[in-house]
Amino acid sequence: MSEMMINASAVTRDFSISRGMFRGKQRLKAVNGVDLNVTRGEVLALVGESGCGKTTLAKILLGLLPQTSGSISLCGTPIGEVPRLELAKTIQPIFQDPYSSLNPRKSIGSIIGLPMRVQGEEDQQAILQRVAETMELVGLPSRLLNAYPNQLSGGQRQRVAIARALVYRPEIVVCDEPTSALDVSVQSQILNLLNELRAELNLTYIIISHNLAVVEHIASRVAVMYLGRIVEQAETSTLFSNPQHPYTRALLDSVLTPDPRLGLPNTQLGASYPNPIDPPSGCAFHPRCANAMPHCAQAAPNGLVNKDTYVECHLYSDGDAAKAG
Amino acid sequence: MSNRVLSVENLSVDIPLADGVLHAVDNVTLHVDRGETLCIVGESGCGKSLTSLALMDLLPKKAIRTIASLDLNDASILNYSEKQMSDVRGNRMGMIFQEPMTSLNPAFTIGNQMVETLRRHRKLSNAEAQDLAKQTLEKVGITAAEQRLNQYPHQLSGGLRQRVMIAMTLLCEPELIIADEPTTALDVTIQAQILLLLQELQAEYDMGLILITHDLGVVARIATRVAVMYAGQVVEQGTAEQIFENPMHPYTRGLMRCIPVPGRTQPGEPLGSIPGMVPSLIGRFTGCRFADRCDLVKDACRKGDVPLRDAKGKTQGYRCVIEPRDMTKVA
Repeated sequence: MSEMMINASAVTRDFSISRGMFRGKQRLKAVNGVDLNVTRGEVLALVGESGCGKTTLAKILLGLLPQTSGSISLCGTPIGEVPRLELAKTIQPIFQDPYSSLNPRKSIGSIIGLPMRVQGEEDQQAILQRVAETMELVGLPSRLLNAYPNQLSGGQRQRVAIARALVYRPEIVVCDEPTSALDVSVQSQILNLLNELRAELNLTYIIISHNLAVVEHIASRVAVMYLGRIVEQAETSTLFSNPQHPYTRALLDSVLTPDPRLGLPNTQLGASYPNPIDPPSGCAFHPRCANAMPHCAQAAPNGLVNKDTYVECHLYSDGDAAKAG
Repeated sequence: MSNRVLSVENLSVDIPLADGVLHAVDNVTLHVDRGETLCIVGESGCGKSLTSLALMDLLPKKAIRTIASLDLNDASILNYSEKQMSDVRGNRMGMIFQEPMTSLNPAFTIGNQMVETLRRHRKLSNAEAQDLAKQTLEKVGITAAEQRLNQYPHQLSGGLRQRVMIAMTLLCEPELIIADEPTTALDVTIQAQILLLLQELQAEYDMGLILITHDLGVVARIATRVAVMYAGQVVEQGTAEQIFENPMHPYTRGLMRCIPVPGRTQPGEPLGSIPGMVPSLIGRFTGCRFADRCDLVKDACRKGDVPLRDAKGKTQGYRCVIEPRDMTKVA
């Protein structure tokens, strides 16, 4: 049995949205009952459209936002009970845009060493030593130690962001769209680096991405989110070869593989993404669903496991599975 | 009457900077026919956006544009005055930008902005313009068009805003639409819808479409012809089939190896990459601009400019010293 790194159950996060001066506050359920289990060495991808709650979920895991209800443990310890600094030794983020995530006034060495100083390390020599090791690990030449972010290319900046996340050797790294701000030729280098580092340091990744081709390449398991819930979760190869939820199928249909013989897909996702303040009744996906049935609008589907896939859809509940084909 | 909507020869854009002149676009020659989609693909800084701005004469003030010829529907528009160009823009050539939020005016309603375009270019009355604006919104798949006209851009979702942008460029039934990364800011599901819409409208109005993107998936699915740009030059051009199935230039080949493709690349296996960085384009450059990053580099690459040569047929061209038959061998 492999070691459990993240164990989340029934996690929700609400936000209060003001509706104006004399009207009450309204609840927005950004994350609405998410269960998640991630074991050591896994790469879990969170995919979904903007506004589905994937970044909020990542922030909760990082301890940057408290959850409204539910419980989360990292490496067996509930995150509410661990001080922030301790949590930061276990889990670290890499953000999307390396142009805004690095302080332009600090040198590369000082950016990468900052997490160590924050943790109370005072020995300059030790910090310098660790920074040099980490720079080598992520493929940054040591001459860049005293350079500033504006002297670096996009790919090098993202390497700095990765080095900063790894300098304290965390167990889990949360990558929020790690390559979407980068050019294709640089994207492949960063993906290769992330893969190498995972094997070398025995890391666990949570990857947030809307690029399903990248997800297929790097993730071992995929969780598809829609309006704050995980609607389908499976091993990557299972999910790509046998998507079950109609939303997952639509997402996979919209992947544009570089094949000039295929035209543009018609995803049939007519209606636009629903307003999370006023979510649809029943199954949140039913207004856009090609397979919607009358009772989809009335009751939310229960999660169930169908052929190694966790799925929340009425197509698969109580013996309807045969019809879904 | 020929089918050619736009043709440009030897377009260059130079930008004087403190430490020398930046040759951002170098002798780009392109053409688009009616009903055809030309995709310009390349990485950031390759000059693809500047090329499109130069075609519309919308370059920043300090940029210097030099062109041998620029024809719209077989008539030169090269020496048009600013006034004449502003009649052409929006009326005969429409432009769609990446981020619809920054290209729509937040202080005016959608209706206001659409009606203004119509009154400026088509000299319609207010009522006629309102009517046409509503019809055009319906055409791009916007429901409840009448109410949308009274809404402000911030009240619309990203996908809707991009539909409004497309509707605005369609108002004057242009002969050519230039779309600069029209779907980069959108979700994948919406991206497919917007591209499909562009394709349908293009066929309906028999327009030329120039689509600028860095996404090879988008290019493969929508392009008739492709121009690959690198460091300010077109390094390869051809039909979509030629570029994707038989790329000739080492840069194009490198790009194809970099992208993960479900079903083709092996999950977890290292992807191809292009080492090194784009060279600085400040000052004069001799030789092939890709030489420093190319694994097939020879002495000849650095001796003087490399012209765009024909591949097997006249339709595909590439900028490399290696002969077509030798290129197929190293594949």
